[in-house]
Amino acid sequence: MNPQGAHKLPFDRPGGRDVGGSDGSGGDVEMGSRGHTVVADKVIEKIAGQVAGDASSAGGSSGGFFGIGAHADLSARPKASVELTGNIATLSVEVGMLYPVPLRQATEALRQRIRAKVTELTGVEVRQVDIKVSWLTTGAETNGRRRLL
Amino acid sequence: MRQTAGTLNRIWLTILGILALAAGVALLLQSSGQMHVLANTAPSGDRVVTGDLHAVFAASWVVVIMLVVGVIMGVLGLLWVIAQIPRKNTAGAYRLHDDGGEGFTVCEPSVLATAVENQVNTLPGVVTSSALLRGTAKAADLTLKVTVNDRTDVQDLIRRFETSTLPDLSSALEAPLQRSRVQIDISGRTQSTGTVVHSTGTVVQ
Repeated sequence: MNPQGAHKLPFDRPGGRDVGGSDGSGGDVEMGSRGHTVVADKVIEKIAGQVAGDASSAGGSSGGFFGIGAHADLSARPKASVELTGNIATLSVEVGMLYPVPLRQATEALRQRIRAKVTELTGVEVRQVDIKVSWLTTGAETNGRRRLL
Repeated sequence: MRQTAGTLNRIWLTILGILALAAGVALLLQSSGQMHVLANTAPSGDRVVTGDLHAVFAASWVVVIMLVVGVIMGVLGLLWVIAQIPRKNTAGAYRLHDDGGEGFTVCEPSVLATAVENQVNTLPGVVTSSALLRGTAKAADLTLKVTVNDRTDVQDLIRRFETSTLPDLSSALEAPLQRSRVQIDISGRTQSTGTVVHSTGTVVQ
């Protein structure tokens, strides 16, 4: 049984088939002897957040204390959470975006990107990606003071 | 920025006005004796109720009916009074997905309103602004309250709203705005965000 918040991945050899044959029993024995790969939920969440943050139009929040006083930061990693059911994941991502990007198009592109990358990197099938746009920045906001470099 | 119960008031005042008008006309016809001719009712000089009214109201079901009718009228009146409280009536979370099979996309209207405010605050002469979004994501309704200082070119500001602020919001939502309202106030204060200028200096990394 997997520890709570972790996901055991099936072990595939490079050809895409189980090691030890395709009949199941021999492959399972050999797989068991070689150990398991366990991916924690946190790993999937961080990968999803990083993938979302790599998109040029999305960002997260940074600074603050226990979430109080955090400010929008396009270079920060967005917050992500995952619900795993077997090998199927449902992701929720909270992102900030540039204003005025077309939100439907931008979030749809982000969704496809997260889904493809997380599936590619973890082997978990991402079925749904819920996106919450938590802030929008014009990119030219200023408090009227010069910024120290 | 806040909405009042104007439509509800007009509907109820129209209904009550029609009822009062009908009652007044009936009373006039009755007092002039015309009602007797038109509707074959009792003449104006005759007593309609001849018996003891206490006997009519003594029945328990009459008391119950009167009580229920009184409570209903009281509740309706109270609801009408409560409806007079001005409300913002902000929209719920905007859903920006088509079918949701691949996941939901939501954005709170306050997030968009803050972005609009931040954009408006950088316009020349704007001291402060407040935006409120109502309606749905496909038919948004923007109410914008802008405070400008007394040296601002208001015509130029309105032109900037029309050419940048409103199209940008429409572009972000990918749908035309259903309605937009702008309220401009004048203040003696100066703009606090400074003026945005493009730097020509060397960037130190």
